Amino acid sequence: MTLRSMLAIAATAWLALAGSAQAQYHDPATPPAVADKLFLTSDAKGVAVTEMRIQPKNGVLVVQADLLNMRHNERMVYYRFRWVDSAGNQVGDGESWKQLPLMGMGRQTVKGVSPSSEANDFQLEMNVDRPR
Amino acid sequence: MILSRYSLLLAALVGTMPLTACENAPSTPTVRFDRQVNYGDAKGVELVTNEFGSSDLQMIAEKMTGSLLETGIFQGRPTVTISTVKNKTSEYIDTTNVMHSIQTALVKSGKVRFVRSINEMQSGVDELQRQNQSGLYKQNSTAKIGNMTAARYSMEGELTSIVKQTAATKDVYYKFTLKLFDVEEGTIEWQDEKEIRKTTRR
Repeated sequence: MTLRSMLAIAATAWLALAGSAQAQYHDPATPPAVADKLFLTSDAKGVAVTEMRIQPKNGVLVVQADLLNMRHNERMVYYRFRWVDSAGNQVGDGESWKQLPLMGMGRQTVKGVSPSSEANDFQLEMNVDRPR
Repeated sequence: MILSRYSLLLAALVGTMPLTACENAPSTPTVRFDRQVNYGDAKGVELVTNEFGSSDLQMIAEKMTGSLLETGIFQGRPTVTISTVKNKTSEYIDTTNVMHSIQTALVKSGKVRFVRSINEMQSGVDELQRQNQSGLYKQNSTAKIGNMTAARYSMEGELTSIVKQTAATKDVYYKFTLKLFDVEEGTIEWQDEKEIRKTTRR
């Protein structure tokens, strides 16, 4: 292997590392359809969103998401729902972030209700941390 | 010479890698600033102390608003007024602030109409009297006395807490209960509660 090819491999590896930092690290146990509704701001760290149920109810959208910690150590999940209208604009001022401890191998269901009937789509924003 | 040029390039590439990794270190939406002032995220999780804080207020308001909108009790845009909010905790908490956040979210949903609460009534009466009794206004432009719409529902809330403390740990459990009364019948038409546990370890 020449020095030129070594350099090319190193450059490719570096670019891949830099590029992957921008990618979404969904847990493999998160189904692709659910992953489409998920916006991760960190590595999933073993937390999967195994199911999402969406139901229009009395003019608002009601969403429930099942979070599952695939690891044996506790995880701290931060989450919020982001509601958007048919034009893709955010509905309302945005929800507050919520903190949810998820014990090792534990499961929790989070729920969100759209702030008005203008919302017809959503994203679950999620950030996973190891407890301090 | 060529070798040294490649070595230099390789060194530059490797040198930037830790920097990239550092920039991409995961961050959390928390408010934890030490000895500096910054504009923080008003929607971030506030973990400064375990006393009642902005995140608790926001979580309560969002849970109650969502629960109310989900039930469909506001079919036909009924009128609602805010009644008392009891603070039964040992802390000083402006509980009307919680109710105002709930009211704001419900008004913005467009599914309900709020009428003046007892606390807001005096200023409304003063304005009506000014328009009708001062003689300053054109008669056809004044708001008429006796045309206010009464509330069909009254919203009453209560915040309680249980505090447990040892030398190393402080645990605070908050419970906010909200009830919607039918004013005429006196019945509870909807009720929900939000529980919050906050634990501090030294």
